[in-house]
Amino acid sequence: MNSVVKMAAKHLNFYYGDFHALKDVTIDFNQNRVTALIGPSGCGKSTFLRCLNRMNDLIPTSRVEGEIILDGEDLNDPKVDVVSLRRRVGMVFQKPNPFPKSIFENVAYGLRVNGVKDREFVASRVEESLRRAALWDEVNDRLHRSALSLSGGQQQRLCIARALAVEPEVLLMDEPASALDPIASQKIEELIAMLKANYTIVIVTHNMQQAARVSDYTAFFYMGKLIEVDVTETIFTKPQLRQTEDYITGRFG
Amino acid sequence: MESRFHQELEELRIMILKMATLTEKALQKSLQALLNRNTQLADEVLEGDQEINLLEVAVDRQSLRLLALDQPMARDLRFIVGCMRIAVDLERIADQAVNIAERAQFLSSRPPLPVNPAMEQLGEVALDMFRTVLQAFVNEDSDQAREVCQMDDTADELNVRVLKDLLEYMVKEVPAVERSVQTIIAARCLERVADQTTNIAESVIFISKGVNIKHHCEQ
Repeated sequence: MNSVVKMAAKHLNFYYGDFHALKDVTIDFNQNRVTALIGPSGCGKSTFLRCLNRMNDLIPTSRVEGEIILDGEDLNDPKVDVVSLRRRVGMVFQKPNPFPKSIFENVAYGLRVNGVKDREFVASRVEESLRRAALWDEVNDRLHRSALSLSGGQQQRLCIARALAVEPEVLLMDEPASALDPIASQKIEELIAMLKANYTIVIVTHNMQQAARVSDYTAFFYMGKLIEVDVTETIFTKPQLRQTEDYITGRFG
Repeated sequence: MESRFHQELEELRIMILKMATLTEKALQKSLQALLNRNTQLADEVLEGDQEINLLEVAVDRQSLRLLALDQPMARDLRFIVGCMRIAVDLERIADQAVNIAERAQFLSSRPPLPVNPAMEQLGEVALDMFRTVLQAFVNEDSDQAREVCQMDDTADELNVRVLKDLLEYMVKEVPAVERSVQTIIAARCLERVADQTTNIAESVIFISKGVNIKHHCEQ
């Protein structure tokens, strides 16, 4: 699975006040590949994910050391424009969080915020994004109905469409299917498999079977450290380290 | 505290151990029946075979249940897959013991052939391999399992020697042809036992190290 490194963390340390939440994390994310981050609650995987598009900047007492590289550029450089960074590195959250607007406006939102006025362009981008999020066929006859009228699974795909509309290069997903029923969850998984043709995806999941199904690489975090990262099949059949083995076989703690 | 899943894995291990113990007894009895012309022991092997068959089915059921309900990973996954393979091999070894016991019944009803040291050695090697692999399984010891794989060559050589000895003998002693053929079949069964024991050793290595050494395609 040779691939180009799209994004990387180098000796990343992260602190919430005095609490040292991420300890010297170094990892590569290959382009057009899905990397799953797994580990017990509080291990730092979601904190790490949020470092990748500087969402942690919003936390007042937080502090970052080390580098996050995107296409060779350090994201923590003060010169980096956070808004344009978040356009390049999109995010989908655990609970579907559509805006209380129409389906159409939810997807168009990012474009409008970025000052796109061309109505035809917006309409075509909305359609394309909904198609990529495998939602178009279900909503094309009711684009102007409230997004909140959609089911949970549809709302989550709408949030994915919203993230895709601004053409990100990297997609971060924080437990995108954990609030969904098995069928909606399966649709999200199939969608991830489709999306990796165009995007680099990093996904946090508590569901190890899901990590095994959707990802090309799996990284195991524990107590703020990256313990082991490898090809997913290797992690789930023959991990190198005892700690990883104990975690994925449920012998932890 | 051990989880229910890990308790059930332990139950699977115990089922394999029980099956292996019964198979070892069957093999030992069939050998004694053959070498000492003891039909009583041969009868016992035949009677005991169904219990081993039923255990194979039980191992299969338990394994399938654990795979479906617990979606095991890593070592646990390898252990279950390994146990399924081992159960198949144990059942086949027990069938070889039955076959040897049947040859023993036939041969006991006829005048004895001259003692063949290679045949006795072949029995010892097969039994030794089986006992060693059982220990390797219990200790999840891949080094010990590799020793078993190496012993298989000796079993093959001894089988060829028995075949050659008896072919020579048959040429000289035409009335002994049927008995000789029966003995050759028994030797062939022991050689198969050694092969199937080697398969078990490969499964033990798979469980403990996650590598597949079957057919020399180590990866």
